[in-house]
Amino acid sequence: MRKKYLFYVLAIVSSFILAIVATMDSTICFIFHQNSWNYWVCALAVFLVGAPITLLIVFILSLPINGKSLGSKLDPSFKRIRLVKREELSYYLLAGAANAIQTAGYYLILSRFGDPSMALPFNQIVILYLLSIESIAEKNSPTMAELQCAIIVTFGAIMSSLSMGGLDIKALLVVFLIINPGWCVVSIYQRKLKLLKFGGKPNDSINIRFWNVIFSTIFVVLIALIVDKSLLLQAFYAASKYFPLLGVLMSLGFFSYVLYIRALGIGKASVTQAIRASSIIFVIPFSILLGRFFYADSLHLLIKLMGIVLVILGITSLSLTDVKAYLFINVKQGYSKGVLMEKIWKIKGVESIATIAGGTDLIAKVRTRSLGKGYERVIRRLEEVEGIEEFKWQSILKEWEEI
Amino acid sequence: MIKAFVMMIVKVGELENVLEQLRKIPNIESISVVTGEWDIITKAGVETLEGLMKLTDKIQLIGNIEKTTTQVVEKEISL
Repeated sequence: MRKKYLFYVLAIVSSFILAIVATMDSTICFIFHQNSWNYWVCALAVFLVGAPITLLIVFILSLPINGKSLGSKLDPSFKRIRLVKREELSYYLLAGAANAIQTAGYYLILSRFGDPSMALPFNQIVILYLLSIESIAEKNSPTMAELQCAIIVTFGAIMSSLSMGGLDIKALLVVFLIINPGWCVVSIYQRKLKLLKFGGKPNDSINIRFWNVIFSTIFVVLIALIVDKSLLLQAFYAASKYFPLLGVLMSLGFFSYVLYIRALGIGKASVTQAIRASSIIFVIPFSILLGRFFYADSLHLLIKLMGIVLVILGITSLSLTDVKAYLFINVKQGYSKGVLMEKIWKIKGVESIATIAGGTDLIAKVRTRSLGKGYERVIRRLEEVEGIEEFKWQSILKEWEEI
Repeated sequence: MIKAFVMMIVKVGELENVLEQLRKIPNIESISVVTGEWDIITKAGVETLEGLMKLTDKIQLIGNIEKTTTQVVEKEISL
């Protein structure tokens, strides 16, 4: 299967399940609100049920069938449930803490709006944060096209989140300062976890999700103990009362996240998040089912639909503008291939580089947003590297990759 | 694990047929259709050099490929 197709299938299926999860979330928020339980109780109850349910699912997925685990059908890297490895611990701690905080923020927003089609687009603004962080962490600074797409997505998200009462500034602050930075940290560290290799094999998304839920539960409980211990008692009561509903929610959430984490292992976090933004379309039928989509008047409805179109346009452009190429490089006599390899690896846009035995000395794979950027960011830098005899650029027109 | 790039030049009009045959060969990690000196660049991963020979043999047996070159990876850095 082409890697690109698998990536899109994973991200889109994940976003469809996410739309169902968001609908259930808003229903749960409504029920909790009626019981006078706040958003912290909601987040606590979700994780208190989520931890044992996720454990049960991972145990079932660990069952062997024809020599392979059941979960290997979901993620071929998965063998069985396992303990956290030392090199993973810091990533789990950071992702768990961020997930705990952003979940509480998410339920706060949901309890304010009630309509999942209004709350979900807010989350898509996280792309801006991801683009900024990727530019620092992954030697891949955003291009003008990426910035334009990100701005389109942001404005679209704000437009589609407009409510009858206009813009809710307090809610926007929660989104910009709590939910999106939190989710950004979760995405970055989940991707880092997915890219880890143990014994030459890639890390699996099932154990990553399981341990993320466990660590998030620990942090949610710790925060509740610090803030107000009575929240924990309320959450235990709520969890026992609505166990089946919360159990279904967390089971669906588990599969949505496993697919999302697998997609993160293939594509950049910002692009995965961009495709996952399609959940804002999938959520519309569910929102209509809840009878909330048509609460707005025709003008608001039009603005909302325009916002959704903008988000989709932005994410499509973001994910489809990609130029890849192979660079065949020959090194001058008297220069070390190893040293040059390290120098070329530092050039932005170089995804991989290999020293070769044969006619060519080095083969690098490059990914940029445009051919122009390829010239500016790669070729010009390459020409500054001393010791290169000649290089050839071969643009990739089409590509298949085995996953 | 031994990794190698296999580059090939394909007869005009036979690209789709060759791609179809290449996609059936196990151990090929990626197939790229490129512009320039070569038409197709494939990346393969095999356990032994004998495995690499078997793989290149399979590629050689595909008709309509004019020229192939195999270059073995000594060291690789990737994201």
